[in-house]
Amino acid sequence: MTVISAPAGSGKTSLLRTWAGRPDQPYRLAVIQVQRDQQDAQQFWLALLSAIRLAGATTSHAKSPAPTPEFNGPAMVGRVLSELAGGRGRVTLVIDDLHELNCPEALAQLTQLLTSLPDGVHAVLATRRDLQLRLHQLRLEGELAEIRAADLRFTEHETRELLKASGITLSDAGAALLHQRTEGWAAGLRLAAISLADHPDPERFVTEFSGSNRTVADYLLAEMLERQPDDVRDLLLRTSLLDRVNGELADLLTGRPGSERILLELEDANAFVVSLDPARTWFRYHHLFADLLRLELRRTLPEQVPALHRRAAGWFTRQGQFVDAIRHTQAAGDWPGAARLLADHSFSMTLDGQAQTIQALLQAFPPGADHPELALVRAGNDLAQGRLDETAAHLAVAGAYVESAPPDRQHRLQVAIASLKLSLARRRGHLAAVVEQAKFLASPVTGGSDEDIALDSDLRAVALMNLGIVEAWSQGLPDAERHLQEGADLARRIGRPYLEVACLAQLGFASKIHSFATTKHRCREAIALADRHGWGSEPIVAPARVTLAGTMIWTGEFDEGERELQRTSRALQTDTGPGIRLLVHMASGQLQAGRGLHHEALEEFSTAEQLRSQLEGSHALANQVTGWMLATQARAGQPAQARAALASLDNEQAGAGEVGNARAAISLAEGDPAAALGAVQDVLDGTAPVIGYVTVVETQLLAGLAHRQLGDQRSANQAAERALALAEPDRLVLPFAMTGSGELLETLPRHETAHAALLADILDVVHGSSLAAQDRSASPQPEELSPSELRVLRYLPTNLSRPEIASELSVSVNTVNTHVRNIYAKLGASDRSSAVQRARELRLLSAGLTR
Amino acid sequence: MDPAPALYVIRIRGHLGATVLYAFPAMAAQRRGADTVLTGLLDQAALYGVLAEVEALSLDLLEVRQLTAQGESPESGDSRSP
Repeated sequence: MTVISAPAGSGKTSLLRTWAGRPDQPYRLAVIQVQRDQQDAQQFWLALLSAIRLAGATTSHAKSPAPTPEFNGPAMVGRVLSELAGGRGRVTLVIDDLHELNCPEALAQLTQLLTSLPDGVHAVLATRRDLQLRLHQLRLEGELAEIRAADLRFTEHETRELLKASGITLSDAGAALLHQRTEGWAAGLRLAAISLADHPDPERFVTEFSGSNRTVADYLLAEMLERQPDDVRDLLLRTSLLDRVNGELADLLTGRPGSERILLELEDANAFVVSLDPARTWFRYHHLFADLLRLELRRTLPEQVPALHRRAAGWFTRQGQFVDAIRHTQAAGDWPGAARLLADHSFSMTLDGQAQTIQALLQAFPPGADHPELALVRAGNDLAQGRLDETAAHLAVAGAYVESAPPDRQHRLQVAIASLKLSLARRRGHLAAVVEQAKFLASPVTGGSDEDIALDSDLRAVALMNLGIVEAWSQGLPDAERHLQEGADLARRIGRPYLEVACLAQLGFASKIHSFATTKHRCREAIALADRHGWGSEPIVAPARVTLAGTMIWTGEFDEGERELQRTSRALQTDTGPGIRLLVHMASGQLQAGRGLHHEALEEFSTAEQLRSQLEGSHALANQVTGWMLATQARAGQPAQARAALASLDNEQAGAGEVGNARAAISLAEGDPAAALGAVQDVLDGTAPVIGYVTVVETQLLAGLAHRQLGDQRSANQAAERALALAEPDRLVLPFAMTGSGELLETLPRHETAHAALLADILDVVHGSSLAAQDRSASPQPEELSPSELRVLRYLPTNLSRPEIASELSVSVNTVNTHVRNIYAKLGASDRSSAVQRARELRLLSAGLTR
Repeated sequence: MDPAPALYVIRIRGHLGATVLYAFPAMAAQRRGADTVLTGLLDQAALYGVLAEVEALSLDLLEVRQLTAQGESPESGDSRSP
């Protein structure tokens, strides 16, 4: 690693540029120049990641990184490291103006990055002052090279060379004098060279310069400005207050056309003007140069300064570059105007990942000034940082203001307030409040300016997402699906990938009312989209991951499910709410229970139960959690405790099907099968509410176990068969494992079941193996099978041979063969077992569910 | 750290021209030999602001001194006053 640490004007950037421009450059370069006063860690990292991708353009297929409203520093560092490692080797990171990074967390993250660079990756940093990068280790290992001011200083010889290269004839004495006066300072020499270039008497210039005590930059800049034509000087002064300038903007500030030509000429003359893009449309001045010009502007044209800022602000507003617009509006002293701009755009700026920029802009407002619209911005800022009570307080202030706001702003403010209230309610888990705020969703996005529509779309997408999330987690899964799908579609249309991923991830979770195949597909879709953007390990995709893990566990793919759970847990290291962690513990509990590890399962379910009690409002899976916890308690040898806990439930919970199952499990553990049968009666005759059919599978098994204990083998077999039939379409394995129904199934006569293949799989799992993951990429919807083909299909899962199937169906073997061929073709299968699996996925085998 | 503003004396090498002086509106400037001495009443934030300007303009910082109320620097001899 190389650090160049030297004051302004020492030639750091020139050095970097020259070095980078070498034709024999062996490494690919990822170059960034830190923006002036960069306080936003995410913006810094996005720029660096972009540069890395640009450098390795052939290997990375992803586009420029999308920003996220919730920035995860450590995850970002991880992402950068993996992209560096994944590239084809030698990359050099070049970070210029690192002292402009006024963000301690970003510096800490950068240190992390720099101390763990992969092999073949180098870094070059340029800064004006020594930074707190804690690179002692690298220094000790000899991995750190430093270039300091003394190294960059021009020697007398180099001074003469510079003069010669600039076409300036100066005596050796003159050159020596120049060198002495400037002390070899690069900026000084360059400024001098500009003035000397067409000076009638270079020797006299140097003598006068040498005889003056004025600071070098001051003197030479004044000299340089003096000999510029009026229009050039005017342009330089007026545009000095911009961070970057193009011809159009310069024309606007000078009130004259032709600025682009001047800027290009200045760059060609090497006069501290540098173009920022290959097309040479945008330019930047050297910071020192710009600072001096700005001071000169304030000295000579003070009354122009606010007007210039205002004009620039207007231009940036029209371009949609609101951060610059707000900064210039603030600089013009127009605080109400700046407040309005910030209030209007802070929402989309947050979605653009500029939360810290917003904070910096907020802090720039003079204290004590009363800008009620800023309350909205502060509310958004607090919400982004998880300060929920402060958010509510600021929203109250904003709400009070809306009544007295100008009529043309009221709608926008109301929409913004409602959207923030909705987000807040969602964070707190208040479904009622969420629904109340979602009233404005009823009116579609129409009319208004383009800006209004864009803002409304952003707000609407976020509102849909929040609404869908709360609905999915409390109740009303069909509504949740609708809203989340709508939200995802809208987010895709308006180009908000983060929102799209968030909606799809929650949609995966909300898909549980569909077949497991649909759920898995949706979860995988969400995860794939997240991966494409590099968010695969972020909390945002956790709902999809944990749901996917859950479905795997339900279908007996324990090992794969466990891996997915581990991935989820890793992603949830940073702060997340109790809701998602509840799911993780629930799924872990299911996994352990499926493996017969009752004590471990009980621990997980108990944790889940505790988390459930922390949630506000009712939870969709509450009864499931409670039921399993009690049942596991009984199976772990604590039936008495379970019975006691059962007694303390309220009537509504006690009447749920899941709790009925628990009651049955407790009775079975107590050795009272008759009571167990009584406990499940409500579910069997359909009067008890259940979360889904999975509960009924469990119920049938518990009934079967009870019958078996009572000696009624026929009823036991019937119950087992019913359970298998229910479980067949989704290939559920878990209920059998959790209830310990191994013996129940083993005594089921093999030839009497229509579900032999599933039965074989379940017994495999019950005896300790894990089913292999069914990796199915999205296949197209197959052709419909004819009724005769369906009849043959039903026999495929059995162990009957084709002649045997033919005799069962009273047709010829040839007929059966034809049907089988067609079945394989339509299902895209190549053999019997994959045909069966595919058919199960498509729920083609759920014939005649008996209850 | 005393939050109240104090009198600071900052010595820079070279004479600061009119333009550069505009960067230090809160300070009074005096030429002392080949150097410039800036004097001003600054709290800590303002002091670091001034130092940041010095860095930004690539000026040579020679000395930063805080003066006591009596106009003497704290280290000079016996400052025990009755």
